[in-house]
Amino acid sequence: MTIQHVSEVEFGVELPVFEPDTSLENVRRFVVAARWDGPRFTDHEAARKEGLPGALVPGIMSQGFLSAMIHRWAPEAFIENVDTVFRAPVLVDEPYRIAGVVTDIDELSGRVEIDLTVTNEKGETRVFGTATIRLPA
Amino acid sequence: MNELFYIDALRERFLMKDFDEQVYEITAQEIVDYATACGEMAPRYTDPGHPEFQAPPTFPTSFHPGRRLPEGFPNLPGLGMDAGKAVAPKAPIRPGVKLTGRTHLHDLYVKTGRSGRMTFMVTRMEIYDPAGTQLATADTRIVIREKPEA
Repeated sequence: MTIQHVSEVEFGVELPVFEPDTSLENVRRFVVAARWDGPRFTDHEAARKEGLPGALVPGIMSQGFLSAMIHRWAPEAFIENVDTVFRAPVLVDEPYRIAGVVTDIDELSGRVEIDLTVTNEKGETRVFGTATIRLPA
Repeated sequence: MNELFYIDALRERFLMKDFDEQVYEITAQEIVDYATACGEMAPRYTDPGHPEFQAPPTFPTSFHPGRRLPEGFPNLPGLGMDAGKAVAPKAPIRPGVKLTGRTHLHDLYVKTGRSGRMTFMVTRMEIYDPAGTQLATADTRIVIREKPEA
């Protein structure tokens, strides 16, 4: 079910989780589009030579996953702000869960606050943050 | 020099002063690839034929300034890390429009925790269209964690 109006949003509701495509091919497509192309994002071996555990999903791509999750739940939402903290690396070719929970609703302004997380298979939070969105009344 | 006094002096000298300006222009294909790679499904980000076709809201965080910190800013001792990014879209970013990104040091502060002292620097890029309308702000937080004493 998708959300169209702020009146449909309930406090504490969890947004539908989605599992992003972190494959090397998809990350390569992203970094070329973002003009961030570099071996630490597109080559596991090169990343390991830099001392990293493997090729990284850029933090800005994790931010993009979080914003995509919001639009999958509320396609017409206007995102006013997304603030993310990159706590630990997100690795290419590993599965992650993109999740969000509604923490505040202002029906007058149409603003909704959402807590955001990117977690790995062990349930460890790799990226967290908050978003403020605006929905029609 | 006293640490807090030193940070105050840096704030006084560097905060809120533009230190970099870059011009960007993005293509429709870059917008589509960026959006679809992130899992966006809304046609206004994935379909160039959509009447409201525009860059996804987090796109501005991908813009690189020409330099990370103002000229003359001291090398603070410790290990630097990208601590996070924030973006605040204000108006749509369309393909083929010349964008100007102006960057300033927006905040500078120190936190002390169990793992020692950390200095946070927030740089903010403000993105404008050719008419001077602000389209977005994009913040980058850099943290310098002081090396623990041996």
